[in-house]
Formats: sequence, structure tokens, C-alpha cells
Amino acid sequence: MAAVAQTTPLSRILWPALAWTIALIFFFPIFWLVFTSFKTDADAVKPEHLFFFTPTLENYANMTENYDYWRFAINSVITATFATAFALAVGVPAAYAMAFDPSRHTKDILVWMLSTKMLPAAAVLYPMTFLTKNILGLFDTHFLIIVVLCLINLPIVIWMLFTYFKEIPKDIIEAGKMDGVSTWGEIKDILIPLAWGGIASTALLTFIFCWNEAYWTVRLTTIDAATLSKLIEGNRAPEGLFFGRLSAVSTAAVGPIVVLGWFCQKQLVQGLTFGAVK
Amino acid sequence: MANRTLPRLLQAPAVIMLLLWMLVPLGMTLFFSFIRYVLNSLRRPEWTTPSIENWRGLGNYKYVLDAKDFWFAIQNSVFIVVSILIFTVILGLLIAVLVNRSFPGRGIVRVLLISPFFVMPAVNAVLWINMILDPVLGLNGLAVAGINDLVVGLRELPVIGQFFSMWPELKPISFRASQTSAYAVIMMVTWQWTPFAVLIFMTSLQSEDESQKEAAMLDGASAWSQFINLTVPHLARPIAIVVMIQSIFHLSLYAEIEIVSRGNGNKNLPYLIGEFTSNNIGAASATGIFAVILANIIAIFLLRMVGKSLMD
Repeated sequence: MAAVAQTTPLSRILWPALAWTIALIFFFPIFWLVFTSFKTDADAVKPEHLFFFTPTLENYANMTENYDYWRFAINSVITATFATAFALAVGVPAAYAMAFDPSRHTKDILVWMLSTKMLPAAAVLYPMTFLTKNILGLFDTHFLIIVVLCLINLPIVIWMLFTYFKEIPKDIIEAGKMDGVSTWGEIKDILIPLAWGGIASTALLTFIFCWNEAYWTVRLTTIDAATLSKLIEGNRAPEGLFFGRLSAVSTAAVGPIVVLGWFCQKQLVQGLTFGAVK
Repeated sequence: MANRTLPRLLQAPAVIMLLLWMLVPLGMTLFFSFIRYVLNSLRRPEWTTPSIENWRGLGNYKYVLDAKDFWFAIQNSVFIVVSILIFTVILGLLIAVLVNRSFPGRGIVRVLLISPFFVMPAVNAVLWINMILDPVLGLNGLAVAGINDLVVGLRELPVIGQFFSMWPELKPISFRASQTSAYAVIMMVTWQWTPFAVLIFMTSLQSEDESQKEAAMLDGASAWSQFINLTVPHLARPIAIVVMIQSIFHLSLYAEIEIVSRGNGNKNLPYLIGEFTSNNIGAASATGIFAVILANIIAIFLLRMVGKSLMD
């Protein structure tokens, strides 16, 4: 098909050029963020330094002093890592049982799990604040953010793992059963090595979602468990004085995740469409 | 039936956790939506504790339905969501078809295109509203100032200078006013979610039946008629899924509105709930229940589609 469509020399150049142009336009804001992060705050707002300036690393060097960056970054790493691990620890056994030992209700349970993901967070904003502040005393703790991030991602985790596990031939698992391997042994020695790729990409995608979460991490923290989302949200109105330093801290907040994201484009489709698009 | 205990046991933690997560806060919201409950009241201090004594029945719902803010927030939520949907689906389709051909550097193009999707919403909003859209210091302001300077320069030229002296001086649009900030939100979310649409459409295009297309080509069908008659019907299902998933995500859009529009009147449902939550919990809860109903209407269709593809 490609060979026929590209017969004319014009289309052989025109379409790729158009694709490249669009890609560069879409990438431009990210480029501009990184570009601005190498300008001083003064240069960042001067038209004469729009494209030509002396690059500086000062914004990155002062990130701790200006924004206490590492405090928030460490919170993001802790909460996203533990939430991902926790979600997998709960999700792998559940998805294993659903994929290899399904009952009449498995399908309904899966659909119901997904439906919990569709509740608008804002609807339970006050109850969550009330519960965590007045009753459980967990407001602004790492533990709370980890649990909440785990819960909002659990449906996607189970769903993704389920679709990966279904690909594994049942016989292999059955054979393990015949040999008298325990369930834990089956999961550890047969399932996990076989589904390693799927589990890893589920983990990667969950980590990204946790890192970027911007409702509960903002509303259920003040300072102790505040993540990078909260940091950026708190500095939303720099009035143009701090474009340089704000760009640097933003670049540091999104850089690692954008790069991670490049490696899980394929899984993204599965993770976000719940396997409905193949 | 063989032993069902073990599989149940393995699923139990996940089911119980999600059940609690769904029922407890939502049950509280439902309860609060039927009572008078405010955080501060000098006149009626008894309303500041949630209690069945302060039963208000459907009063909070009536209060919310009568509030002008509520209807504005609904209208604005729908306006923002529908605009984003239209832009992302159209752009996503065109870009997916464009990138689906093979050409030099296609891998890099894909990587560049998908990147915006991984930018955290808070950074997306801060970046767009300051560095790009600010009417003075952002690229928006700088570009307009540049054009104005250029026009002033051109006026000095003989003959055609006359023509340029008739040009008005351009004023950059400020994206911090209530209506324009909705446009800013639409712009930044479209930027972020078009890659998602592209990715899904591309995945789906790869499973398109090539032999059908070849047959169409031999019959002399034009590229356009192939696109309309073969590709678009093939993409009907992914389009529906993109529309529904985005609707659910964007109905609860929050960070972008909070950062771009705080206090300027551009609010959607989650933002209105946040505002009510600063004092009137009863109204916040009633609004929350309306938001749940709205999301459910869309979710039911989505879940049906997803459920169907589940076991095959």
C-alpha cells in the first residue's frame, strides 16, 4: 500500500515533511521549557535574549535553595514507588486467580473494578479530608498518599495484568499444579518469570500515573508528604519574575517521566483502554 | 465445582480494598448531601457537626439546582470537554493516518509526538499559561510585540509604508480572563491528549485489513474515499473509546483549572465542589452526587464496550 501511495516524488517528500513539522510543533513546548531553564530569570523575559543568550546551570544549582526541590522529589519517588509495589502485590494474585481460575463472576468483578476508577474524585473530596484529618489522623502522611495512589491505580493494574496473564497457556500452570507445586510457588516460579515483561510494563505505567497524579496529592497534603505536583501547583503564578528557575524545576519534575514514557508507548494503549483497542 | 476458596482468597484483598474505597467516602458524601452541614456558622453552630438531626432532605439538591454557579459549571464543564474531544479526535485521526506510513525518522517522530502525554498536568498548566500564553512575557506577548514592531518599521518604507500605516496595532489576548482562560485550558489539554488519540488510532490502524485497501486501490478509489469509506468505519470503535475515556478524565479536570483560572470565574464541576467545600459541605456533597451521575452515564456505555471485548 505504501509503495502505491508514494509514487509521486512530491508526496514522498511532502508527507514526511508534514509529519516532522507536526511532531516538532507538538514537542516545541517541552523544548521551550528545557530551553528556558538554561536562561537566567532576567534573560528569560528579555525579547533580545529570546534565542541567543549565555546558557547557565545556575537555575539547576539553586533548585534546592529556591524550591526545596529534593524534598518534593523524594516524596514523589517514595509515594510512586511504594504505591506501585503495593498495587502489584495486591494485583498479581488477584489477576492470577481471575486469569487461570475464572468463575462466573470474574467478568463482572473486573468491570466493577473499572467502574470504581470512573468515580469523579471531587465527589468524595470532603469525606476524604474529613476521614483522614479527623478520624484516621493520616492527613499529609506518606502512608495515606501511597494507599490512595495504589487504590486509584489498582483497577488498571489488575486489568493490564489480567490481559497479559490470559496470553499464557493454561497448560503450563496446570502442569505445575500436577507436580504439586504450591500456589505461591506457581506464582513465583512459573507465572512471574513467564509474564515478566507484562508485569514490568504494568509497573512502569503505574509509576508514571502515580508520579503525575494531581488531585489527591494536592488536596490531601500540606508539606510533609507533598509531591512535585504540589510543588509546581504552589508556584503557579511567578508573575514573570522567575521563568528561568520555574522552568528548571519543572524540567526536573517531568524529565525522568517523559523519558520513561518513551519506553512504554505500547503498554499505554493497553493500560488506558483496558484492552479494548488492539 | 472444584475448590473455590483459594482463588477467592487471592482476589479478596483487591476486592475488599476497592469496595471500601468506593463505599465509605461515597456513602459519606451521600449522607452529607441530605443534611445541613457547614464548617463555620456563628448563627447556627449546631450545623457544624454532621448529624442526622440536621436532616434537610432534598434541600441541598434544590439549593444547588437553584444556584447560578452550578448551571454555569455544568455548561462550562461540557463546553471544555466537548471542545477538547473535537480537537483531539480530528487532530488525532489526521496525525495517526499521516504517521502510519513509513518514512525516514518515523520512530523519532513518534517519540516527539507522544511526549506531551507524560508531562504532569501541573507543569503543563504552568508552562502554557506563563511561558507561552502570557500576554506580556510569554511567547504570545512577544510575538504580538514583534509583529507590531515590524509593522512600525514597514511604515517607514516608501509607497507600501502607506499601506502598513493603515494596519491597527495588535493587542495580545490575555488568557487569564474567565472566558479566555477556558480557551487556554482547552488548548493545553488538547496538546496533552492529542498524542493519546494518535497512539490509539495508530494501534488500531495497524490492524486494518490491508487487502481490502489494496482492492479499493485497484478499483481506482481515491485516497480520500479510502479514508472515508474504509479507514473511518474501521476506527469507529477506537473513536468511541477515545471519546468516552477522555470524557471521564476531563469531566474531573482539576489541576489545569486551579492553576489557570483560580478566582476568575472559569469553573467546572470539580472546581465548584472545591469552592463549596470551603464551607457548605451539604451543597458540595449534592454537587458531588450530580457529578457521579454525570460520569456514570458515560461510564455505563464505556464499560459495556470494554466488557464485551473482555473474554475474547
